[in-house]
Amino acid sequence: MNHEQAERLLSARIDGERLSTRASASLEQHLETCAECRAFERGAYRLREAARFEVAPAVPDLVDQVMTAVGAEAERPRSRLRVVRPAGRRSILPRLAPVAAALVVGALIGSLVVGGPWQRPETGSALAATEVTEGVSAAAARLDAYRATFVIDERHLSPEVPQRHLTMRVWFEAPERFRLDVVDHTDYPMAATPTDLKLLVDGSTWYAAGPAPCPTATCPQRESVVRNRLPFSTAAPTPTDLVLPISTLADADRLTVLGRGTMLGRPAVRVEVPFERAEPLFPFLSIGGDWRPFFPNDRVRIWLDERNWFPLRWDVYPATGAERDAWALRFGLPDEPSLRSVFSVRALHVSLDTPDAGVFDIPATNSSQDQGARAVELGDVRRATGFEPVAPSMVGGLDRYRVVLPRDDAGGTLVAYANGLAFLNLGETRSWNGDAPFGPVGVQAEEISLTGGGVAYYEPASQDHGRRVAIHAAGTDLYLESNLPRSELLAAAAALPVQGLPMPDAWTHRRVGAATAERASLETARASVPFPIELPTALPAGFGLASVELVDAGFGTGVTLYLRDEDADAGIGTIRLHLEAASALPPATSAAQSTVEVDGVQGRFTPDRSQLEWIDGGLYRSLDAPGLALEELLAIAASIGGDGTGG
Amino acid sequence: MNDPDPRTLTRAREGDLGAFEDLVRQYQADVWRFAYHFTRDRSLADDVTQEAFLRAFRFLRGFRGDSKFTSWLFRIARNCAMDQIKARNVYVERVTPIAGTTTDPQARVELHAALDAVSSEHREPFMLVEVFGLSYQEAADVLGVRVGTIKSRMHRARRAMMDALAVEEEAQ
Repeated sequence: MNHEQAERLLSARIDGERLSTRASASLEQHLETCAECRAFERGAYRLREAARFEVAPAVPDLVDQVMTAVGAEAERPRSRLRVVRPAGRRSILPRLAPVAAALVVGALIGSLVVGGPWQRPETGSALAATEVTEGVSAAAARLDAYRATFVIDERHLSPEVPQRHLTMRVWFEAPERFRLDVVDHTDYPMAATPTDLKLLVDGSTWYAAGPAPCPTATCPQRESVVRNRLPFSTAAPTPTDLVLPISTLADADRLTVLGRGTMLGRPAVRVEVPFERAEPLFPFLSIGGDWRPFFPNDRVRIWLDERNWFPLRWDVYPATGAERDAWALRFGLPDEPSLRSVFSVRALHVSLDTPDAGVFDIPATNSSQDQGARAVELGDVRRATGFEPVAPSMVGGLDRYRVVLPRDDAGGTLVAYANGLAFLNLGETRSWNGDAPFGPVGVQAEEISLTGGGVAYYEPASQDHGRRVAIHAAGTDLYLESNLPRSELLAAAAALPVQGLPMPDAWTHRRVGAATAERASLETARASVPFPIELPTALPAGFGLASVELVDAGFGTGVTLYLRDEDADAGIGTIRLHLEAASALPPATSAAQSTVEVDGVQGRFTPDRSQLEWIDGGLYRSLDAPGLALEELLAIAASIGGDGTGG
Repeated sequence: MNDPDPRTLTRAREGDLGAFEDLVRQYQADVWRFAYHFTRDRSLADDVTQEAFLRAFRFLRGFRGDSKFTSWLFRIARNCAMDQIKARNVYVERVTPIAGTTTDPQARVELHAALDAVSSEHREPFMLVEVFGLSYQEAADVLGVRVGTIKSRMHRARRAMMDALAVEEEAQ
């Protein structure tokens, strides 16, 4: 045995590791004759003594502090699920509880993140999520002009390009002039096409240019032009969340206020939303070029100017968990610590100055797409359509801005209203004979009783469109689409000089393949089926019952419940719960189906439809939602009938 | 280091905040000391301790019991500390004196010099085993390495520190 071997064994023995009898005997034998190894043993014990004294610094008592944060965490919704409010009444409590929790957790986590030299520690002073949402919304109507310069820092585009540096300039002039320029300053280690982008909107014309994403060094340039654009068209959108994050921060339920501080020398408030909610703050990702991927639950932390709600800085922090790890592996991303920003957009300069003349000039191009919106004067509408549209000079506090005749709307009109960044489109026709409401609203929309009488049908906003309302009235059919908050949109709908009627039978009765479906109230549905209709009590935040259908496929009547977010759909989509008396699951329809345990009984999961099916007590239940994972569907399933009231 | 009473652990996993508080009370000092040895900064150690327990609470249901609870908790604390160090870009290679310790000043200076002499790769297992009394298996679980690696790093850490301190006696 040499010194090295003996010291290794000694080291292990000192640490209480068991040695084999043979190794122990050899070591003892070596020690008897080796002073150097005996010295090593004594030295190791002296080190231990010194090291164990070393840990004497006074340890703070952090129990209360930790438990405050843990208590707040416990009150937060698990995943995206939260106990749903009682039917028909929106309680303020579920909105405020997570805010209070977020303040504590936010203050804690916020203190860990390093900001720029201009950043002051946050105080975590109370500011409710609803105040932020309402503040942003109110600011939208006051903004006439804006321009700003930002820097963009991106990590982990690829192993060869671990960091990129870009600048972005934004110009806006109310109501519909917008420009965005991105210039890529990255020093690429190989031949590459820089991600230089341009997006321009000037009322009825829309232009975008940039390299097509491609895996080779030279990527082709892409140019898109839309002419005769519909006002506030969502097919050719204006990414005004860069100016004011109206869409990103529309839903107080999915917004966490982290605290206050100073950014760019201005008092600022910091909020957090999941990336899937914050996508409108990253419009450049879809214009062109190559960008790193983001996970839907990555956290986007946004500093907002507290006086005018402009976004001053936003960072993406990686989400944690096995699902995110597996996703990162698929994209070949390196280990990304959750407290380190992987993408950052920082304002260098923001002003309310009117952009210079010529900023919004659209470059000459050969080809263009025509949306077919023909601009007319209000006085000329009757001659073109045969009727005078409902067109007050002001709707929802917004001024009339443009009147157009859309190409494809059954002889209809579209009157656009705007103020600052806020808009409302009012479409109308007098000759609607379709089998669903006129305009984009579907038959499963939520029925709303308007103040002052009459009903309307409401759909929440999504990434692709604003909040919408359809009104069916005597002799006319209308729809409204807007980025105004739900309450303001409904107030604007109620103020129109028409009386909304319930959907006619031709719309509420429809054929779905071999089955018939009939829209009904929950009470009617309960009286029409021989089984109890129980609603889930745990739903994603903000979700509620939108509509109910009785469905008959020839095996007895079943019921389908449509559950939606009231304000804005953040990628979950509509949750459908179908109930039907049955003793066995329908035959398998997908190779990807697997058996799962649902609330104590065996069920089936179909991942490509995000659908869970199970039978309990002679009742078949099918639960699906495009944006929910199995774990979330299981949690909803387990909560069905939980409060015993059935909704 | 002793693992908690299994009944406390079970209750905490089921979401019993009182049981989780018992765990915090039992281990917060060890987690803080561990965080402090990583970060060498009292305020960072506070942050790491809080974040570690918060993460532990979040993921306790996923703790499968295939390592000791204390190893699992230390692994979380180590990850939090690494995140902190990376986020703040303040990796402390030089050990700074600790205010308020009661140790003999000379011994403290010697130990700092010794700790300076070893890389973090060797300092980490030394701290876990010598200061926190973890077994080689537990230290291996925390650091995500094999037991043999711990054994070898412990030996090299001791040898390097002793060389630095010149504590080895003259061969007799």
